[in-house]
Amino acid sequence: MTNASHALPAHARTAGLHLKDISKSFGQVHALSHVNLSVEPGEILAIVGDNGAGKSTLIKVISGVHHPDSGTISVDGVERHLRSPADARNAGIATVFQDLALVECLDVATNMFIGQLPTRGPFVDKRRMEADTRHLLDDLGVTVKSVRTPIGMLSGGQRQIVAIARGMRAGASVVLLDEPTAALGVRETAHAADLIRSLRSRGAAVICVSHDMGFVFEVADRIHVMRLGQTAGVRKVSETNKSDIISLITGVRRDDH
Amino acid sequence: MTIENKLAGTPAARAARDEDGGKWRAILSAGQQAGLALVVIIVAIVFQTLNPVFLSQGNIIEILRSGALYFIVACTSTMILVGGGLDFSIGALYAFGGIVAGALILAGVPWPLAIILAVAAGAVLGAINGAVIVYLKVPPLIATLGMFFAAGGAITVYTGGTNLFGFPDAFNAIGQGKLFGVPYLVCYAVIFGIVFHILLEHTRFGYETRITGGNRAAALANGVRVNALDLKLYALSGGVTALAGIFFMARTSTASPSAGSSSLTFQVLTAIIIGGTSLFGGTGTIGGTALGVLLFAVLNNGLAVVNVNPLYQNIFIGVILVAAVAWDQAQRSRRFKARR
Repeated sequence: MTNASHALPAHARTAGLHLKDISKSFGQVHALSHVNLSVEPGEILAIVGDNGAGKSTLIKVISGVHHPDSGTISVDGVERHLRSPADARNAGIATVFQDLALVECLDVATNMFIGQLPTRGPFVDKRRMEADTRHLLDDLGVTVKSVRTPIGMLSGGQRQIVAIARGMRAGASVVLLDEPTAALGVRETAHAADLIRSLRSRGAAVICVSHDMGFVFEVADRIHVMRLGQTAGVRKVSETNKSDIISLITGVRRDDH
Repeated sequence: MTIENKLAGTPAARAARDEDGGKWRAILSAGQQAGLALVVIIVAIVFQTLNPVFLSQGNIIEILRSGALYFIVACTSTMILVGGGLDFSIGALYAFGGIVAGALILAGVPWPLAIILAVAAGAVLGAINGAVIVYLKVPPLIATLGMFFAAGGAITVYTGGTNLFGFPDAFNAIGQGKLFGVPYLVCYAVIFGIVFHILLEHTRFGYETRITGGNRAAALANGVRVNALDLKLYALSGGVTALAGIFFMARTSTASPSAGSSSLTFQVLTAIIIGGTSLFGGTGTIGGTALGVLLFAVLNNGLAVVNVNPLYQNIFIGVILVAAVAWDQAQRSRRFKARR
């Protein structure tokens, strides 16, 4: 994915995900107004903000659930109109939702491939699905007893790991994670952080929405702060600190733009 | 990685456990079906003890024939339930298929063409069910209940409540013939059972049906076209149910507007649920449905064979239904105790 961008210098400037002047209203409520956002390949961007700051709407716009009223979205240099989650997926955006979007009564392997079931002739290639899943989980050091275990039998942390692994499996150039550490224990959070870093090292442009400030400072390269549907500021993690970010979140400080 | 290996074993050991996991899951889900199979066997033994005619070859074939058509309807309704829906209109669409085919044949349409047109008409009504559910957001129970009355009413008005008959022998033969002593109807049921089993367990359509029934939001978020899937499922149900109604009409040489009706709907849905399919979608098998239908057929036939009023079967069915669902719930809470 990213190799292509090295081969094409013209794309190198615009590879990754770029949102330009995105606005979205629900009736009288301006959920997003004139939001610009960019993530480069091999970068982790954290999106933070208070409740109602527009994070969820932003994520839903990127994942194709909501269609923006105005503005443009481009993925790897190509402008995309995302009218459905399927469109976003086809554009190379994989989303790991907060509610995980897993099917409890189906096994790990099937859950890995929802929406992209491999087929062999008229049939789903179950053997390939299980082998690929096992291979990926081993690669990631994920300990799931069996790829035929129903998701409902896994712990919350294991489910989160499976959901993130699914985002990685898709081979997407942009991976969007909504609260990846919500409800995780310490060890599981560390594991999730490792997985997200390995997404970055594979050249994906990673977006991570999180309330967990410690986690954000640990894994992110840049932090994009939302407030009242607008961008309050964007900081490199190496050039900021928690109190700076918190003052942007609460509106004590605000960048002019 | 070494720590992970200690926790999870070598890759080879993990691959072996994948096999184990699958086996255990198969055994667990087979648990309910094994229980149901046991019930069928016990009931059969009781009837056999009371009257040795029960397990004669002729009577076994009669039992299978009596369950065959309901089983065909139940196959497609199992798909709907697994997909998280419900089709209450099957009782009316069953009669509708027969009446449309019968009316066309009596109007001079060649019978093979009449069958195709009637099945297509059933599929259209099914698709209307799907469209009302998907686009008008009417709950499946209400939408298909509406269709049950509307379609049932339409054929009653059209026929004035009387039966249609006088079809060519070649047509009636499709419901009355035998292949090496086995009624065609039983052959059809076996074919439908195999086709629907493969459809549900091995095709993309089946996988997406189970995914959508298991978690509709997840299916949608991951790019499964759930609305199109629903339309296909209900259209399939309409078409197949109409075809089963046509087989029934051929078997009896009569198209009756009162064929099927609410008793078919209730019996088919009850048999499916007794067979282990969840009312809440996501899980269910054609094999379980076959056992559920078989239980109905065995009871119905057996009570007649031992000279007990067949109305007693409803008491038994009621108990079995509640017991089956209670069993399912107990299994579910044991297996999914990690539920958030």
